[in-house]
Amino acid sequence: MADDIVFELLHSEIINYSLEQNKSSNGKEVDLSVVEYIGFAAGYKIMERLTREWPRFKDELDTMKFICTDFWTCIYKKQIDNLRTNHQGVYVLQDNAFRFLINFSSGQQYLEYAPRYVAYTCGLIRGGLANLCINSIVTAEVQTMPSCKFHIHVQRS
Amino acid sequence: MAVCVAVIGKDNSPLYIGGTGNDTSTDNELSRQWLVHTALDALEERLASTNNTNLNSSANASRTELRDLYLGLLYSTDTHKIYGYVTNTRIKLVLVTSSTSPSGSNIRDAEVRTALRRLHALYADAICNPFHLPGDQITSTKFDKQVKSLIMNNV
Repeated sequence: MADDIVFELLHSEIINYSLEQNKSSNGKEVDLSVVEYIGFAAGYKIMERLTREWPRFKDELDTMKFICTDFWTCIYKKQIDNLRTNHQGVYVLQDNAFRFLINFSSGQQYLEYAPRYVAYTCGLIRGGLANLCINSIVTAEVQTMPSCKFHIHVQRS
Repeated sequence: MAVCVAVIGKDNSPLYIGGTGNDTSTDNELSRQWLVHTALDALEERLASTNNTNLNSSANASRTELRDLYLGLLYSTDTHKIYGYVTNTRIKLVLVTSSTSPSGSNIRDAEVRTALRRLHALYADAICNPFHLPGDQITSTKFDKQVKSLIMNNV
């Protein structure tokens, strides 16, 4: 399907563009905060639409389940494969075939570049949760391609 | 008919207050703000009771009812009735109808629910406007126009 690929192409071009931008401004350092912010803004806005027909969330775990199922299906056309939590504000979401990594070779070849392709999604999750009044820090780890784990640390004030 | 609708942000700051200007007593901005402002305590109270009953895990039927985004009639005064709606993102939508005019006094609950759901849809569209920053007041004239027509036609 050609219409699905447009989003992936735009995403990879945004990353190339922002890397190009900060290469010219401050040397070699890889800074993806702009990409993360783009994700944050998108997640914030999309959440208002997605939760429109949804009953009020019971608790934090209920919200996370929503992220894993409906939110993920809307953006990545599949659900999260595994959700784990310690019930103290840490959630680990595992996607075994992450859409932005699926087109890479699954060996070690591009492993060092993989973190660039998860920054947008970290922002997306953080923005979505921020709009649902959950402040969080989202980090990602890629150990084997094309699976990816997102760690969500909920900040309680 | 509805005399006024308001969109209130997560931190209880008004994002948008609009209404029709026919009724002289509610014509000015100040009385609209006052009407909406008085509804906030009632809204908070409803939300708190929703959360408490959920914690105590009461009967399933009442729970699903409380999980509805539409909160129904918050309270009524001699001249106005105030309805509330709180989205999942804690945006509060308030609709005020006049109970003195004939069309307003016998307004049905379902009609208000539909109107508030449509207002929510309009709000979701309005924040997708790239010129709108989250938490700022909604200044888009398109939104304003659509809300005005919602007030005139639907309720």
